[in-house]
Amino acid sequence: MNAISQIPRFGGRAAWVLLLWVLGPAAAYSQERDSDEAVREGRALYDSHQCWQCHGYEGQGSVAGVRIAPTLYPFEAFSRLVRHTNIMPAYSPNVLSEEQLRLIYAFVLSVPEPPPLEDIPDLNFE
Amino acid sequence: MKPEEQSRPENSAQDESESVNRREFLSSATVAGLAAASVGATGKAAAQQVASNEAAPGALPPTAAQEAMESEVPAGYSAEEAREYFVRNPGSDFMVDLIKRIGMDYITTNPGSSFRGLHESIVNYGGNQAPELLTCVHEEQAVAMAHGYYKVTGKPMGVLCHGTVGLQHASMAVYNAWCDRAPMILLAGNHLDAAERRPGAEWSHSAQDCVRVVRDYIKWDDMPLSLRHYTESMVRGFKIAMTPPMGPVAVVLDGHLQEAEVGDQQLGTISIAPNQPPSGDEAAVAEAARWMLEAESPVIVADLMAHDQDGVERLVALAEALQAPVVNQFGRMNFPNSHYLSQGAAAVAQADVVLGLELFDTWGVINTLRDRVHRDSVRKARPDARVISIGSNDLFTKSNYQNFQRFYPSDLSIAGDAQATLPGLTDAVLSGMLRSRRVSNAEREARWRDAHARAREQAMNEARYGWDASPVSTARLYAELWKAVKDRDWALVSDDGMQSRWARRLWPIDRHYQFIGRSGGAGLGYGAPAAVGAALAHRAEGRIAVNVQRDGDMMYTPGAFWTAAYHGIPLLTVTHNNQGYHQEFMHLQRMAARRQRGIDGSSWVGNELRNPDIDLARIASAMGVWAEGPIGDPGDLAPALARAVEVVDGGEPAFVDVRCQPR
Repeated sequence: MNAISQIPRFGGRAAWVLLLWVLGPAAAYSQERDSDEAVREGRALYDSHQCWQCHGYEGQGSVAGVRIAPTLYPFEAFSRLVRHTNIMPAYSPNVLSEEQLRLIYAFVLSVPEPPPLEDIPDLNFE
Repeated sequence: MKPEEQSRPENSAQDESESVNRREFLSSATVAGLAAASVGATGKAAAQQVASNEAAPGALPPTAAQEAMESEVPAGYSAEEAREYFVRNPGSDFMVDLIKRIGMDYITTNPGSSFRGLHESIVNYGGNQAPELLTCVHEEQAVAMAHGYYKVTGKPMGVLCHGTVGLQHASMAVYNAWCDRAPMILLAGNHLDAAERRPGAEWSHSAQDCVRVVRDYIKWDDMPLSLRHYTESMVRGFKIAMTPPMGPVAVVLDGHLQEAEVGDQQLGTISIAPNQPPSGDEAAVAEAARWMLEAESPVIVADLMAHDQDGVERLVALAEALQAPVVNQFGRMNFPNSHYLSQGAAAVAQADVVLGLELFDTWGVINTLRDRVHRDSVRKARPDARVISIGSNDLFTKSNYQNFQRFYPSDLSIAGDAQATLPGLTDAVLSGMLRSRRVSNAEREARWRDAHARAREQAMNEARYGWDASPVSTARLYAELWKAVKDRDWALVSDDGMQSRWARRLWPIDRHYQFIGRSGGAGLGYGAPAAVGAALAHRAEGRIAVNVQRDGDMMYTPGAFWTAAYHGIPLLTVTHNNQGYHQEFMHLQRMAARRQRGIDGSSWVGNELRNPDIDLARIASAMGVWAEGPIGDPGDLAPALARAVEVVDGGEPAFVDVRCQPR
């Protein structure tokens, strides 16, 4: 049993904290951003496989699926989420190859941070 | 006894001096306004309500023309001819008198010959005022309007329909009302006496037992055969509908009984008082208070609980006494979400005692079922958490439809209306509270204030993501809507569950009337008509009603917008138009992934509402409603909403179609 398989299947944020702790700094995300082409291909796959049905067109998340972009998840954690979760449907390599998943991951990484709260005056509900 | 034996025209030939004037009868009848008596009212308040209604004037005095009709044979006719051609006192006039006394302000209808007698009486005899007929283009719409109206006013509407084809059309919306405990009176036209039926449609539109089609999801029904029987059944029906757990009832109105001469029937008087809502057993309530006081981390979960603002305030009193967080499941607006004790569902996980108030699904609060090949359940609550249930679920239910959800064996189960039970529970908590508990409450308050502030900040932070996305994010949709209505007396007349619950996460929802909960049975076609019914209720209060309308739901009952335009019901509708049946997209994805077949493009089949795209704004416009859209650029939303609000301020409905993210 490897470290990834020991991630609690339920636990939300705590699971990811545990994952990063188990994997250590070497596994924490430090990869270079993929190329523009990879991002484009990833976007196309994100659309055609309809990841956006639950996670939104920008990966912003919804009540149906967690926010996945912008992300600090390492690819291993992202892959674990897609392939072995009990929350979302498990996408096996027969449906989504490793290469396709990496391209989708490249797109997810490319989504920019939204403006800070103070720059969105309409998000004031007091 | 057959209707003909009760109300044959020959009865009218008797001397009028011997007959009982039905208006005098109703003037003297003590028919308390059941509808006005809130189930949440205290006994004293309810008694005052009864007294008030007893003192109320009787039916409207007859007009001069009516007086003439009732006392004279029209010129040029013999008395025999007049009896053949004319009816002086039709049974349906009497029916209207009783409906007025009960206090039914509105009746929704799609017109039909099986109730033509009552239709005419409402319009001419009753002056089309209290009750006023609301024209609907589908019975499903008519029922859902009554559903939405109840949830704002606490009063039941009547729904007048064919007992056969009308109830069949209505059935889906009746099921929603049943699941959501929304009372209403279904008034179903029918012709029981085969010898009296006109050939053709009157046969197709008659049944031996027309209510059978909806009987599995109404509380009670009857088919009165005389006007006395009608009186008793209507009053009984109101009482049953309004007694928790509330729900629809049906009274079949025989066509002959509506149209025949009343004659000299001795109708007598009837005196009723509204049922007081059932409170939980006093000893059991004391035990519940003890458990809550002993608990280190008690949590309250409320769903179909608050009938009105009084219910909200009662829950605030209990929560503050215990400094216990409240998880509002928003079946009703139970608790102000700006209150620091308003907490998310995660609070249940740390509770040692969970108090459930009118829960739609107690099992689902404590457990979750994983949607996998082999479905299994996981307990969300602590293993040692004890569960107290207070609710009216077990006081009345039925077997066939499974809306009662999975059984959960609560550790302490109290049958009774939760709102009615809360004052006793709060009193028991306060009287049993030790000093040490009062001291520890300060720590609890600080903890929950901090948690509430953090959750609020997190919600606003999350709303930033996808802020500038096109299609428009649902968070942005609600943020822009808030900006448009926040300075008015607003009310949301739709559920936000399909929009990631952004209203309850972002908007301060403090008043009971500001949120009306969900459909109940999750049957599509509820949204638009329920919003129109609720908006009608808000119109009287001068509030702006806001409806976030799902596209798939709208396509079932778009005619509701025509009703809004026709009756001048101001309503701001903004669509959450994701161009498909989004829930089903996700189900199809799950199936395809589970079977390792993939979903690359194929999930559109059977689920999309595109190609051709549906122009929702044009549909609304064709119904006579001011409309704009589709809007896909979030930057265009605020100006469109400003224009729409201006229309609504003028007393008319307005509609803005917005292409949105899926959830």
